[in-house]
Amino acid sequence: MKKAVINDIKRFAVHDGDGIRTTVFFKGCPLKCLWCHNPEGITVKPEIAYYEHKCIDCGECAYVCPTRAHIVKFGKHDFDREACIACGRCTESCLGGALTFYGKKTTVEELLPQLLEDRDFYESSGGGVTLSGGECLMQADFCAELLKELKKAGIHTAVDTCGFVSKESLRKVIPYTDVFLYDLKAYDEDVHIRCTGQSNKIILENLLYLDSLGKNIEIRIPYVPEYNSDQIEKIAIFLSELKHITKIRILPYHNYAGSKYAALNIPSTLPDRLPTDEEIQKAVDTVKNITCLS
Amino acid sequence: MQERFFNYELISDTDRSFIENKYHRQDMPFDGKQRMKYHGYDYDESTGLLDTEIMLGLDELAKKLENEHHYTIKSELFSYILDNTRIDINEHDYFIGIYTWDRVIDKHTIDPWQKEAYAKATLAVGNSKRNDFSKSGTAWALLDFDHTVPDWESLSTLGFVGILERLENSYTAIKSSGAITEKQELFYKCAKREYEALIKFVKRLYAYSLTKSHPKAAIVSESLKHLCEGAPQTTYDMLQLIYIYFMVSESVEHYQVRSLGYGLDNTLYPFYKSDIENRRFSKEEISRFIAYFMMQFSAMGNYWGQPFYLGGTNPDGSTAVNELSYLILDIYDKLGIYNPKIQIKVCKSTPKDFVFKALKMIIGGSTSIVFCNEDIIVKALMRNGATYDDATLAVVKGCYEYALRAKSIGISFNTFNALKPLCFVFSDGYDNVTGKLLGIHTGDVSEFDSFEKFYHAYLAQFDYVINENMKWIYEAEKYINDVNPSLLYAATIPACTEQLRDANDGGIINVSDMLLNGLGTAVDALMAVYELVFEKGVTTLQELKNALDNNWEGFEKLRLRALACKHKYGRGDKLSDYYACAIHNFFASHFIGKKNSHGDNIEYELHSALAFLKQGKSTPATPDGRYNGDEVSKNASPTIGMDTNGLTALIRSVTSMDLSVSDSGACLDCMIHPSTVQGEGGADILYGVLNTYLSLGGASIHFNIFNSEMLKDAQANPDRYKNLQVRVCGWNVLWNNLSKKEQDAYILRAEKIIE
Repeated sequence: MKKAVINDIKRFAVHDGDGIRTTVFFKGCPLKCLWCHNPEGITVKPEIAYYEHKCIDCGECAYVCPTRAHIVKFGKHDFDREACIACGRCTESCLGGALTFYGKKTTVEELLPQLLEDRDFYESSGGGVTLSGGECLMQADFCAELLKELKKAGIHTAVDTCGFVSKESLRKVIPYTDVFLYDLKAYDEDVHIRCTGQSNKIILENLLYLDSLGKNIEIRIPYVPEYNSDQIEKIAIFLSELKHITKIRILPYHNYAGSKYAALNIPSTLPDRLPTDEEIQKAVDTVKNITCLS
Repeated sequence: MQERFFNYELISDTDRSFIENKYHRQDMPFDGKQRMKYHGYDYDESTGLLDTEIMLGLDELAKKLENEHHYTIKSELFSYILDNTRIDINEHDYFIGIYTWDRVIDKHTIDPWQKEAYAKATLAVGNSKRNDFSKSGTAWALLDFDHTVPDWESLSTLGFVGILERLENSYTAIKSSGAITEKQELFYKCAKREYEALIKFVKRLYAYSLTKSHPKAAIVSESLKHLCEGAPQTTYDMLQLIYIYFMVSESVEHYQVRSLGYGLDNTLYPFYKSDIENRRFSKEEISRFIAYFMMQFSAMGNYWGQPFYLGGTNPDGSTAVNELSYLILDIYDKLGIYNPKIQIKVCKSTPKDFVFKALKMIIGGSTSIVFCNEDIIVKALMRNGATYDDATLAVVKGCYEYALRAKSIGISFNTFNALKPLCFVFSDGYDNVTGKLLGIHTGDVSEFDSFEKFYHAYLAQFDYVINENMKWIYEAEKYINDVNPSLLYAATIPACTEQLRDANDGGIINVSDMLLNGLGTAVDALMAVYELVFEKGVTTLQELKNALDNNWEGFEKLRLRALACKHKYGRGDKLSDYYACAIHNFFASHFIGKKNSHGDNIEYELHSALAFLKQGKSTPATPDGRYNGDEVSKNASPTIGMDTNGLTALIRSVTSMDLSVSDSGACLDCMIHPSTVQGEGGADILYGVLNTYLSLGGASIHFNIFNSEMLKDAQANPDRYKNLQVRVCGWNVLWNNLSKKEQDAYILRAEKIIE
């Protein structure tokens, strides 16, 4: 039985495709976007996030921790990450809600009933289930199995991908995916490498491949001032040649993920500057003018 | 967007300001719960007496009548008030003014008569449990004068004059049959007296309007002339009639009118069509009349909001939504008011674009709109014996409550606190407020060795409270007709007229309403006992009792464990939902198939009104982590902040119950973060939620779209949010009118919304 590593299941998700959806966030991503707002999805290994401001020093974590990673010294909680084996027991006992476990292992059999729970809402709103991450296609075999079951159950499916995956991985899910939510961060390779740590060659190739197969594709372009803001026009020109793009969305960069970086003890790479409304409108207009899509 | 619909002015600023100050001065302190104590401006003294003078007159008259039957006393006093109140026909208003609106009749009617009836009921049951239940927040029992919907069909086709004629005809017929009783004679005489007084009052208004020369006077005069002569002829006549009936019933007769038409759109529609076809009034003029009409209710400041409903289904199965339904929403939107409040009866035939229009208004900040599921209304009422047609045409008679059109009237309104019996399990039946034994002895709580034993003790306590309170209600209801005859109302009802019998004297079905308050919190409290004591064993019942007795002081960690329990109502958690269903059905089982002292149905309502605050205040700390005095959950909603699995899970929990069992209504209050419904697809998302809720068997649903940042800003800067309104429980209030504690509770709830 295949197992996947996931971070979260979000019900009543309304920004991950059409209608009311349930989104599964898979853990692990091949890119390292400087503006990543889901840093818990970067590595595939389980992690504990510790939100210090929510800790009430109750000591419950120390009581259940098998490796003494959590201790209470002079009434104050201390978390030794080096000693932590991310077993997750502390997160279940935490009374202040300060500890969160990312990296639950799950099976299709476990996931499916949870994902089908809201099928009435999917049906009445044109929604369904979205696989996201991290990069869900890093666990493509599992995704294919899950998507196949969802399609059997008559559920609309969406795969949210950064596209930096092998064609083989992509092929596995294509038959069971109704729409791809495809992220494009930059058109110029050097910009892409600078912002994500990887070339975008495979990403653009995969997109062309999906388009050639006639798959429905919704493009999502994060807008990060001074990082990829000069790429919008080039991306739009590239997209204007494709035939099966159903929507193009500009996603304004936000820095809400700051506290997650701190909680995971990951150095933050988040840019400081937020886009203005005018910048976003201009980007939207540019895309619209070039592609005739919005 | 609104400007697209109205390229003309609905109401001038001067007129709007006048109406806003018609019932109370906007620049003076105001308490909505005492709204009738105020006056806006002075009326022409030549038109009648001051309130104080009228009260003196009533004192004198009541003295003369003291040995008369209550029908006689009430109808004479009613007539005296209408004969003598000051009136107005103002240049700034299309609707009449009646100065004496503070229910001055009460002093000689309801006040002494109710006291007497309550004393008799208490004597009959042989104890004062009802008063103790009430004082301790365990249960309330009250006779109901607050939920009437007159027969708008009769009023719109006959007018006041026709109602009187119909009454006279019925009297003649019964009299000539030779089988008339003394009570029927009396009913006829007194109802006739009230309608004669009402018609005389309208004639007085008409005569006064003729003395006025301002531009509106001619229009008002013509309308009043129609009402003096017979049935209303135009949309404006009908609006004027609704307004006059409303004011006279609410403020003189002391019977609240909870709906303005069968709904407003349907009742006005035949007039509207005729006006347009015959070019009596243009759409523009009618829009203005509706705007001025709505402004009356906005200005009155009734704290629970004056309801009216729109939509529903016609007898032939087609949608009752018509052109006016849309227009009314547009006018309401344009006026930017939150009172009156609108209920929309929705079902499969309701046009999608109409629902969307309402949803877009909600997203835009109009929070006074609630959706009521007609399918559930039909199911509930048919289970109680109604025909399909009658159930389909049911009216919304309160915040969410429904009733048969012209065939039933509420006679008592009683609220049970689902938490208090659970507290009695911990205290072996003793109450924390009164110190008295208000429950039963279920034994030392620390000796329960299984959750089942605890749960059974809870049900035994609850069963006792329901049965004890019901005994008193059963007795008190016998006197409702003595306490407050409903002559004005009854004469509008064909069945009452045909029998010459008052409505709450059995002229139509006399329904008792039983409200369940705090269901969600009661489930959480039960589940905390299960999880902490019996499932995980992290505490004992004795320790929990100590913690509750000390309001969690010294037991903070235990309280956090209670708050962190996984089984909570509103999360789609199967175990919690199972117990929600169980308590819901347990409560209903006390009334299903049972009859009240009038031989009619007892109905259950999953609705809290203000009890979630008031009864919460008298409820000690509970095992779910709640502190002594904190509010409890309201309506069908969960405890604040406990629905952490998102809206879909919340709806799962609520609809796990068969809400048609709460046969007089149930409502879910949803708080949604603005980001969820912003943008083009926002209304689609809300439509999906609404549709699913309705198809899963949800009853009523109300959406509040807020984020906590905005509410915090509103708390810090009240001046900038003078118009911000939030739904409290079945009605909206201005944010600035909530206490700091209530605002904090609201913010807490908003903080827990999942984006």
